[in-house]
Amino acid sequence: MITTQALKELGCNTEEGLSRCLNNEAFYLRLVPAALEETRYRSLDEKIGAGDLKGAFEDAHSLKGVLANLSLTPLYEVVSQIAELLRAETDTDYRPLLDKMWDIKGKFDELI
Amino acid sequence: MYESFEDRLKFRKKILIVDDELINREMLANIIGNDYEALTAEDGNQALDVMIRYHDTLSLVLLDLLMPVMDGYELLSVMKNDANLSRIPVIVLTSEVSAEVKSLNMGAADFIPKPFDAPEVILARIRKTIQLHENINILSATQYDELTSLFNREFFMEYAVVIDQYYPDVKMDAVVLDINRFHAINEMNGRAYGDEILRRVGSAIKEYVRANSGIGCRYNADSFYIYIPHSDTPDILDFITERVQEKMDDAQNRLRIGIYPDVDRNIEIARRFDRALLACTSIRGNFSENTAYYNEKMHEDEAFAERLMSDMEKGLSDNQFIVYYQPKFAIQDGDPYLTSAEALIRWKHPELGMVSPGRFIPVFEKNGMIRKLDRFVWKEAASQVRKWEDKFGITIPVSVNVSRIDMMDRGFVGLITDIVNSAGIGPDGYMIEVTESAYTDDSDKLIEVVNRLRALGFRIEMDDFGTGYSSLNMLSALPVDVLKLDMRFIRNIHTNPKDLRMVQLVMEIAEYLNMTVVAEGVEYKEQYELLKEAGVQVIQGYYFSKPVPPEEFEVFIKERIEHDNNTSS
Repeated sequence: MITTQALKELGCNTEEGLSRCLNNEAFYLRLVPAALEETRYRSLDEKIGAGDLKGAFEDAHSLKGVLANLSLTPLYEVVSQIAELLRAETDTDYRPLLDKMWDIKGKFDELI
Repeated sequence: MYESFEDRLKFRKKILIVDDELINREMLANIIGNDYEALTAEDGNQALDVMIRYHDTLSLVLLDLLMPVMDGYELLSVMKNDANLSRIPVIVLTSEVSAEVKSLNMGAADFIPKPFDAPEVILARIRKTIQLHENINILSATQYDELTSLFNREFFMEYAVVIDQYYPDVKMDAVVLDINRFHAINEMNGRAYGDEILRRVGSAIKEYVRANSGIGCRYNADSFYIYIPHSDTPDILDFITERVQEKMDDAQNRLRIGIYPDVDRNIEIARRFDRALLACTSIRGNFSENTAYYNEKMHEDEAFAERLMSDMEKGLSDNQFIVYYQPKFAIQDGDPYLTSAEALIRWKHPELGMVSPGRFIPVFEKNGMIRKLDRFVWKEAASQVRKWEDKFGITIPVSVNVSRIDMMDRGFVGLITDIVNSAGIGPDGYMIEVTESAYTDDSDKLIEVVNRLRALGFRIEMDDFGTGYSSLNMLSALPVDVLKLDMRFIRNIHTNPKDLRMVQLVMEIAEYLNMTVVAEGVEYKEQYELLKEAGVQVIQGYYFSKPVPPEEFEVFIKERIEHDNNTSS
């Protein structure tokens, strides 16, 4: 069962996230798993792998927005880094960042 | 538009949230849910469907920019070009500064940054935006004429000023369009049909001014004002006629325009349209001409009328207005003798000389100054009757002209009674002339006033008889003592047997109704003789005398006294 406390321990600014949900904790905790949905991250990973940097940027940008709104800070930070590189269509090895993303996401998944 | 505004006041306001992210939609819906009804869409296409469905009750759109299918920019541009959607304010949701600027430039009202601000900040921005736009919409609801959705007259004038400011070097035309005898269209076909015609004219004008960088308004019931860049060969009337013809097949005869071309920017807007209107009314009732231009002659007339208006007060206080008297002679009883007189106003202007009443009376009728002038004549005439009574010991009744508007005045009977009483004369020394055309509107009220005056002992003359449209039926109901035959009737009786026959007919009617007939405008001996033969009792006209000042009139009184002495001896 995911809790605010656990999210806080992972480094999330839960106060901020909760306040955007009018401090309705149940509502907030219902939204968080949706932001952690596997397919989003896989899509991002695959598009980068296929060289579709534009499509990847759109995915990263959307994800970044959601993570920011819920203040899932650690995951937001790494997705944000990826999004900024993709925005400029930077030709670089995204693998280390993607791995880092999967790593952090794994920690969130453990909470669910 | 107005109804939807009312709806928005009555119901919880609707806000459409457009974001491809479910989480963002849910968060925003949660934030606004207490105050507003949240509708959601996950892309531009869906959003468009919702907007079209709720366009008149939607208070705001919260719009994400980056979305699949149709993104926020595309949606903004669709909205901007749609009359219904463009009035809905949009707040853009974005995390990019550059996008903020771009979307504001595209018509967005505000933006909410991502990640979202604190909910209270979001709500405050939403509230402010909605409020601001409602004010704009109230403004736009009142700046249009409901029937035609053209500007209303106040806004039209305002916008005309704005056009002047922004395009000081563009030559402009002021155009007035009206519909000949529109009230008859309404009466014959019903109000709904009349409204449909006005709507069609309105939408044709709208189409025309849009294509020609002008503006238009419905100025009043059936007249439209158009302010438009100058054209040497204006096609506006053809354009509108063509579009209205389908519904009104005689549009070509009905629509007419007055144009004040290449307006003088130094005179105020309203006056420019007065000039166009003047041109337009110059062809009133003329079915063969449908376009008239304000010209030099009208300009001179206008300047002259203004001069008269500004000089009138001084004229009254400086005694420039003089009452002249034209004698009326009884002709059926031996030698003609003076029976009464008609009081006629004259203006001896110190610079313009004698100004014809034909020129100043219509001017003063238009601006209402005639009332003051009428009262002056009424008093002056009453006191003159008294002066002659004192001097010659005889009552020469004087008739004064009274307009329909005067008669409708609540205090009219009291005023006339006061005037007569303060002059110290009886009602037998005073006659009241009302033109025949006065009886056509609200005749019941008029007849009531006439009856009251007659009960007090005044005699009533119906002036200009034969020019109006009195039915025989009405004539028998009319409580008048004298019919005054219009001059136009008399003019040709000596050359046109038909006119003479008309006079004879009137005589028969008058005899039957026990009314006296006065013929005015009699100039020639032949006219006089024919009228005498027809049985006309009283003659007024140059044949005997033109209107003269009181001193000169005394000659006729002396002759009358002499006549009385001769007949009694």
